Amino acid sequence: MMQIIFERTGGIMGRKVSVSLDLDEMPSDQSTTLRRLVDESDLFTLDEEPIKTSRPDEFIYTITITTKTIQQTVRASDTSLPESLRPLLNELLTHTG
Amino acid sequence: MSHRHSILCILPPYMLEQIAQRGTSGQRQTAARSIAASQQIRNKRRGLSLATFRGALHARMAATTLKQRAVYSANFSTQLPGTLLRGEGDDPVSDPAVNEAYNGCGDTYDVFSTAFGRNSIDNNGLKLISTVHYDKGYDNAFWDGEQMIYGDGDEDRPSTERLFNRFTVSLDIIGHELTHGVTQYEANLDYNNQSGALNEAISDIFGSLVKQYKLGQTAAEANWIIGDGLFTANVKGVGIRSLKAPGTAYNDFVLGSDPQPAHMRDYVTTIEDNGGVHINSGIVNHAFYIMAAELGGFAWQKAGMIWYTALTEKLTSGSNFQNAANLTYEAAAQIFGANSLEQKAVKNGWSQVGISITGIGSEEPTPTPIPDPIPVPPVSVPEQGQGCMTVLMRAFGLRK
Ligand SMILES: [Zn+2]
Repeated sequence: MMQIIFERTGGIMGRKVSVSLDLDEMPSDQSTTLRRLVDESDLFTLDEEPIKTSRPDEFIYTITITTKTIQQTVRASDTSLPESLRPLLNELLTHTG
Repeated sequence: MSHRHSILCILPPYMLEQIAQRGTSGQRQTAARSIAASQQIRNKRRGLSLATFRGALHARMAATTLKQRAVYSANFSTQLPGTLLRGEGDDPVSDPAVNEAYNGCGDTYDVFSTAFGRNSIDNNGLKLISTVHYDKGYDNAFWDGEQMIYGDGDEDRPSTERLFNRFTVSLDIIGHELTHGVTQYEANLDYNNQSGALNEAISDIFGSLVKQYKLGQTAAEANWIIGDGLFTANVKGVGIRSLKAPGTAYNDFVLGSDPQPAHMRDYVTTIEDNGGVHINSGIVNHAFYIMAAELGGFAWQKAGMIWYTALTEKLTSGSNFQNAANLTYEAAAQIFGANSLEQKAVKNGWSQVGISITGIGSEEPTPTPIPDPIPVPPVSVPEQGQGCMTVLMRAFGLRK
């Protein structure tokens, strides 16, 4: 199993967007893409909170991934984002309302 | 310092304007403030219109320019600053986002320079750097500590679904981002909770003033909207925030509704968005609007000057709303005199959003009658620690 909770806050509008996904319940093409991007993001090796202080109006992203054996939360902002996370974030954004 | 002030005080207005434009940073700020206070006195005396005065000042300001701008494109990547597309003095290019960033920085620079005597973000001529076309589908603009960054909204979606235009489309957003830089070099307000909401409000306030200045609008004529023109026709809304009526800027099926409070009783406690910095700023925004509307005329001249003085001389990184109320009240007394109409307007603005002025100077003193007509002021030399304003106000008989 794999669940992903994704949230984006901040930005000049301060508007939150979020989505909660259960990959087992999704169409397989979508969940396959997400599993690949999670793998490629090296998310499980990242610091939980790389943000020191956020810059005015930048977005703040929070991703929590839960599997059978592990749960990991990563928080990052536009200026502190590890490049490996970007493709996953962009994919997750397409799932938000 | 007192020596420098005494020189400024004895100078005629046109010299003050020259200093406001060309002096050292301290000289420029003092001179700009003297102009703001003395022009209303002179106008009253001679019946000169503000417009006449401003016209002459603008003509002189236009004669020299100190601003340095550079606009880059990230070409839809996140690499900063990207490719340089327009430097200072270069002709317009075919890309509207580049020209908007260039001109918007120029307009913002001009307001800070003309109205407040400030030379750029750091008051020392710092180059204004902007990057446009940041990332794909990036519906945001921000200040990264060194430069301004603008996305193109949701340019990656079909036009029937688009909610946002490019973020450079709103001059008030450019003013908002550049003002984050000014705040960083001045009060450096912590970007969380109330100090963060103050930081946000200051960007909205000066962002709105930049637009009002550009359009030549009085407080009564301005729409006080942030993000003017940012939404596409698919959105039910006029912008992202309203200083005049917080909480009413948008109410849309996709975007939801504007969450801003306009009063302390509706203050939102949250850990999101660094403690709701873009939400609770509505309270401070509205206090400013009420003050500016009460004072009338061009809002940058009095309301803006009061806040600029608080930002550059009084607020500190941990200041909260109560501190801002007390310190803007203090700034109003410093510029316009204790118990002046301006100081009363500051107090009224805060009171209408649920914040009372506290501390020394908050009690109503006995009103001092203002003598009229005012004689030509004698030249006086300030004592140690006295600002030019004190001397000026005293000379004009507005202060004991
Ligand atoms: Zn901001």
